Amino acid sequence: MNLTNTQFVFEGKTKRVLIGGMVLGVLCLVLTALNDDEYHTRFWTNFLHNSVYFTAIAFMAMFFLAAQITAFAGWMTAIKRIWESMGQFMLVGLVLIGIVAIGVWGHLHHLYHWNDPNLNISDPSAPHYDRIIAGKSGFLNPVFFTIASIGFLAIWYFWSYKMRQTSIAQDTMETASRDYYKTERKWAASFLPIGGFLSAVFFWQVLMSVDPHWYSTMFAWYATASAWLGSLALTVMIIIYLKSRGYLDFVTHDHLHDVGKYVFGISVFWTYLWFDQFMLIWYANNGEETIYFKERMNHYPVLFWGNLLMNFVAPFLILMRNDTKRKFGTMFFVALIVFFGHWWDYFYMIKPGARIAAHEAKELAEGGHHNTGLSAPASDALAVKTVLSNVKGEQHESGEQQPAAAESHGEANQPVPNDENMHDAEASEDGAHGASADDHGAAAPADEHGTEEADHGGHGEDAHGAAAHAAEPSGFRLGFTVPGLEELGVMIGFLSLFLFFFFTQLERASLIPLKDPYLEESLHHETGANIEGEGGGHDHH
Amino acid sequence: MAAESKKVLYGLYNDEEDLKGAIKTANAAHLNIMDVFTPFPVHGLDPILGLKESRLHILGFIYGATGALFGFLAMTWIFTTDWPILFGGKPYWSVPAFIPITFEMTVLFSAWGMTITFYTICGMWPGVKAKTLDNRITDDKFCIAFDVTDAPDSDVKNLQGFFTNTGASEVNVKAL
Repeated sequence: MNLTNTQFVFEGKTKRVLIGGMVLGVLCLVLTALNDDEYHTRFWTNFLHNSVYFTAIAFMAMFFLAAQITAFAGWMTAIKRIWESMGQFMLVGLVLIGIVAIGVWGHLHHLYHWNDPNLNISDPSAPHYDRIIAGKSGFLNPVFFTIASIGFLAIWYFWSYKMRQTSIAQDTMETASRDYYKTERKWAASFLPIGGFLSAVFFWQVLMSVDPHWYSTMFAWYATASAWLGSLALTVMIIIYLKSRGYLDFVTHDHLHDVGKYVFGISVFWTYLWFDQFMLIWYANNGEETIYFKERMNHYPVLFWGNLLMNFVAPFLILMRNDTKRKFGTMFFVALIVFFGHWWDYFYMIKPGARIAAHEAKELAEGGHHNTGLSAPASDALAVKTVLSNVKGEQHESGEQQPAAAESHGEANQPVPNDENMHDAEASEDGAHGASADDHGAAAPADEHGTEEADHGGHGEDAHGAAAHAAEPSGFRLGFTVPGLEELGVMIGFLSLFLFFFFTQLERASLIPLKDPYLEESLHHETGANIEGEGGGHDHH
Repeated sequence: MAAESKKVLYGLYNDEEDLKGAIKTANAAHLNIMDVFTPFPVHGLDPILGLKESRLHILGFIYGATGALFGFLAMTWIFTTDWPILFGGKPYWSVPAFIPITFEMTVLFSAWGMTITFYTICGMWPGVKAKTLDNRITDDKFCIAFDVTDAPDSDVKNLQGFFTNTGASEVNVKAL
C-alpha cells in the first residue's frame, strides 16, 4: 500500500481556477441584482439558495462522519480527512447565513413574508392581519431566526472544529492507540442529537418559512436527506479528482463502492421522504397545503419533474448494478447528476415560494385594501377547498350506491374527481369563486378548516382580487421557473468558494490519519464484490 | 435419490488468511479445486477462486419489474374498470395512491422469485439430505475440497503434500 503521498499541496494553478470561479459567481450575482424586481428577489433567492445548500453540505459531511465514528466504522478512515475538511466550511456558512440574517433585521430582502416591515401581519387590528402567520409569530421572528440559523450553525461549527482538532492531534502520537479516538468519539456521539434535532429547526427557519402559510412535518428530513446526497456526491467527485492528481492511492474501488452504496441508498431514502410529503398532503386534501403542490406542478413542471428524474430515476437505475458503483467514470457522472439534482431540489424549495412572497408584498403595498386574513395563494387554496367540500357533500349520496356510481360515471351530477375541480377553480375564477364563497357556509360543517376560514368572513369580493393577482406570479420567468445562466454562474461561484476553503483545510493535515486505530482496517477494506476484469484497487502493492 | 458417489479429499484450515494463501498456491500449481467451504463470507475469496458474478440479481430485476407492472396494472383495472370507488373526491385512477402498493408488489415478487430460484438452483427443497463434508466448516474451520474420484494415487499424494505445505490442520477423504 502506497502511503507516501499523504500531504496535499494546494497548487497555485488550482487556486487561480477557483478564484476565477468565485469572480464568475460574484459577477453573476451582480448581474441578477442589476436586472431584478424592487425586492431584488432573484439576487437574494440565489444567495440564500447557494448559501444554504453548501452550508448544509458541510453540515451533513460532519454529521455523517460523526455517525460513522459513533458506530466504530473503520472502512472510512481513508476518506475521513475529506469529510473533516468539508465540515469546516460551516465557518464560511456562518458568514453567508449571517448576511441573510442581517437582511432579515435590516429588511434588505423580502425572502420571508413573515418579516414584512410594513404589514403588521401579527396585529389583529391592522388591515393586513394574517391569522396564519400571526399564529406562528413566536417562531417566525427575527430573534428566533437569528438563533436558529447563525446560533445553531455556530454550535455545529464548534463541534466540527473540536472533532477536527482531536483528529489532527492524533497524528502527533508515536504509535496508534485509542486515546484520541475515544475523545473524538465523545464529540461525535454528542453531535448526533445536537445536529439531528437542531437541523430540523434550521431548515424550517431558513427554507420552509419562505412559504409561511404552508408547513409539512416531512420537510426537515427531506431537506436534510437532500443535503446529505449533495454531500456524498461531492465526496465522490473530490475523491476521483484527488486520485487523478496522484493523491489517495490508498482509496480503492472498494471505498468508492461503499460511498456509492450510500448515494444509491440515500437517493431512495430521499425519494421516500419526497413522496411521503407529497402523498400525505395529496391524500389529506387540505386546501392550504395542497395549493403548495398545485402551484408547483402546474407552473413549475420542469422543476417538479426534473427533480424526480435527476434525484431518483437516474441514481436508482444507474447505481442499481454492482459494477457501476466501482467505476470511477460512471460514479463521477452519477455524482455530477446527483449534486446538480439536489442543488435543483433546493432551488425548487426556495424560488416559487419567495417569488409569491415578493409578489404578495408588492400587491399589498400597492393595493393594500383587502383584509381577508389570507394571502393570495391561500385564498386561491380556499377556492379549491370549497369546491372540494362540495364534492364531499355529494359523495355521501353516491357512497351508498357505489356499484351504480361506476355505471353512471359520465353523467352530469356525478361527483367529478378533484384534479378536474382544481383546474375548474383556476380557470373560471369569477364563477367558481363567487359560488364557492356562498356555498362555503353550507358545506362548512362537514369540514373543520372550512369553518375556521369562513369565520373570517368578507372574503367574497376581496378573494377575487387576490386570486386574480395570484395567477400573475406564475408565468415563465427565467431564474425562477428554471435556473438561468446566472444561476449556474452563482452555483459555480459558491462551489469554487467551497472547494477553495476545503482545499485550504485539506492542506493543513495529512490526507490520511496515520495513527488512527482503524487505519489498517480501512487500508484492507474489501466489499467482497467480485468484478471481472477490474484492474484497480489492489494493484498498488 | 440415488446420487453417484463421489470421492472427495479435503483439508481444513484454522484461519481464512491461511485458506486464501493456500488457494493462491493451488492456482499457481494448477490444481483443480472442486469447492471451498467457509463458515462465513470471506471477502476477496471470489476473485482468487475465479468465480463468475452471480446472475441471480438479473432475475431479481426481472421479477421486481414484473411485480411493479402487475401491481400497477391490476390496481388500474380494478379501480377504473372493474369496481370504481370514489375515495374522498380523488380521481379513480389515483397514481399517488397506487405507488405504495406497486412498491410492495415489486419487493414481494423479487424476494419470492429470487428465493425460489436460488433454492431451485441449489437443489434445496424440504426433506433433502445435506451433503456435508465436515460439520465444523459451519463453525470455525475453512475447507478446500478436491474431487479425487478418478484421480490416480500419485495425484492424491501430491494433493496431500499440498495440504501439509500450506498449513492445513487436518486432511480427510470422504465419499459424498
